[in-house]
Amino acid sequence: MTDDDVVTVRGLHKAYGGRVVVDDLDLDVRAGEVVGLIGANGAGKTTTVECLQGLRQPDAGSVRVLGLDPVRDAERLRPLVGAQLQDSALPDRMRVGEAVRLFARRRGPQGAQLLERFGLGERHRSPFAGLSGGERQRLFLVLALLGEPRLVVLDELTQGLDPAARREVWSAVAQLRDGGTTVLLVTHELDEAEALCGRVVAMRAGRVLDAGTPAELVARHAAGATVRFTCTGDVRGLRALPGVTEVTTDGATVTVRGERQVIAQVGAWLVPRGPVPADLRVDVPDLEHALLALLDGAGPTPVRGAA
Amino acid sequence: MTTTTMTAPAPAVVPARGRRPGPTLRLVLAELRLVVRDPMTLTFVFAFPVVTMLIIGGSFGTEADPVFEGQNPAHWYVASYVSVAIGATGLVMLPVRIASYRERGVLRRFAVAGFPRWSFALAQVCVGLLAVVLATALLLAVAAPVYGVPPLVHPGRVLLGGTAGAVAFVALGVLLGTLLPSARAAQAVGLLLFFPSFLLGVGGPPPQVMGEGLQTLSQFLPLAVVTDALRGPWLGLDGGDGPLLGTLALAAGSLVLAASRTRL
Repeated sequence: MTDDDVVTVRGLHKAYGGRVVVDDLDLDVRAGEVVGLIGANGAGKTTTVECLQGLRQPDAGSVRVLGLDPVRDAERLRPLVGAQLQDSALPDRMRVGEAVRLFARRRGPQGAQLLERFGLGERHRSPFAGLSGGERQRLFLVLALLGEPRLVVLDELTQGLDPAARREVWSAVAQLRDGGTTVLLVTHELDEAEALCGRVVAMRAGRVLDAGTPAELVARHAAGATVRFTCTGDVRGLRALPGVTEVTTDGATVTVRGERQVIAQVGAWLVPRGPVPADLRVDVPDLEHALLALLDGAGPTPVRGAA
Repeated sequence: MTTTTMTAPAPAVVPARGRRPGPTLRLVLAELRLVVRDPMTLTFVFAFPVVTMLIIGGSFGTEADPVFEGQNPAHWYVASYVSVAIGATGLVMLPVRIASYRERGVLRRFAVAGFPRWSFALAQVCVGLLAVVLATALLLAVAAPVYGVPPLVHPGRVLLGGTAGAVAFVALGVLLGTLLPSARAAQAVGLLLFFPSFLLGVGGPPPQVMGEGLQTLSQFLPLAVVTDALRGPWLGLDGGDGPLLGTLALAAGSLVLAASRTRL
């Protein structure tokens, strides 16, 4: 283990009443990374991070966070890890400023600075119950960052938020990323992982399916592209283009599927044939497509892999 | 779309000016502040003993009566009803408050932020004891002009019994709050435990008019033991040391059980 290793998990196993939730999981997070733990509900993501935070005792396996055991060294570790929990709250009448003072370990201007930084400076006297969903999540971010933790764990940060509030919270996490904070982001919102994470770990049924940058996962599991346009002329030549695997027509609508290069090949084919169709549309798979493909292809027993 | 103004990232490290008060003290103060800010959470603890004391205390007159161990019935009930405030706090208010915190994820947030496991329980003990003190003060303030407050014959023993009884039930409340899964469950179980104790052991008919079975049962109800430890020395009744020792044992047992359940 090096100074760069923030999280090192080997063979983590956790079951509730005989139901295996996390099964032989390996996970590494290095300093300065923003790692996304992605997967459907019930994939074991939250249980994994709860084990990392010392909230649950693993049944088997080794868990080290900043070189410490989260259960045995809980008191030493807690100041080093900031956490935003799924489905948590503060007392309704507790004011924003009071929460910051309660959770801060030291006196100082840090709390007020963080409130300003995350757009809550004017809400200092507002009770928790009076905050919007986005404001609550940004307050939890502030509380997680008090004391300059070396690792921040964010579990379903934008669950239940409207699109505007989600963007607010994303902007806040992007600030953390740009400031070099190590972040473990748990989410089933794949656009969120794609927007914020440098590396993602895809989980299903408590095991790691695959890991890599969002672009790597898309390239591995959803590499294709689809081009659609309207054309009344002869389109048989499209089948001969490099990378094309399928050409279908529905009336005047032509759909070309194939490798990513078909975008350029179809474009080059269209340009000499007159005006480019106004309804030309290109669909490129994103992380969501990649995960769906991954889940479809994984079968009933996911392959174990180090993440 | 909502626009949020984000200033430039703050420096990664801000020099600390000094240590904050300990986490437990911070949590105790925060909880007390919340209770003072939202006194409606104490409505049951404040209102129920006063209202029932006014009704029951006036139902049997003010003449000394052998059924009330030779005491003025109104005074007998005034001296009894401090236990109602204790029971309402420990069996209803605290379990609902703590279970509600757990249900909403407040306890997990405290735990993951590094508050010691027992600090929340200690904060709730402080909240409970404050509630008992305030409810008792209100009860006596209302009783004084209506029925009069009987003088304390053995004030030291009354104070000891009352304190031990309050600690016993406040600790029991913390224990119930950590065991029950939701605020609704806590309310249902709390009321189920509270009302039989209230009717049979504290604020209902005097034991002498009950059937033999109910009389026997009432002697073993924890809240009835606490009531005897308070009312006996308050009115100078000949109850011996049994109720006081029983109340002290109850306080010790409840504290041990609550301490063993400090896992958030």
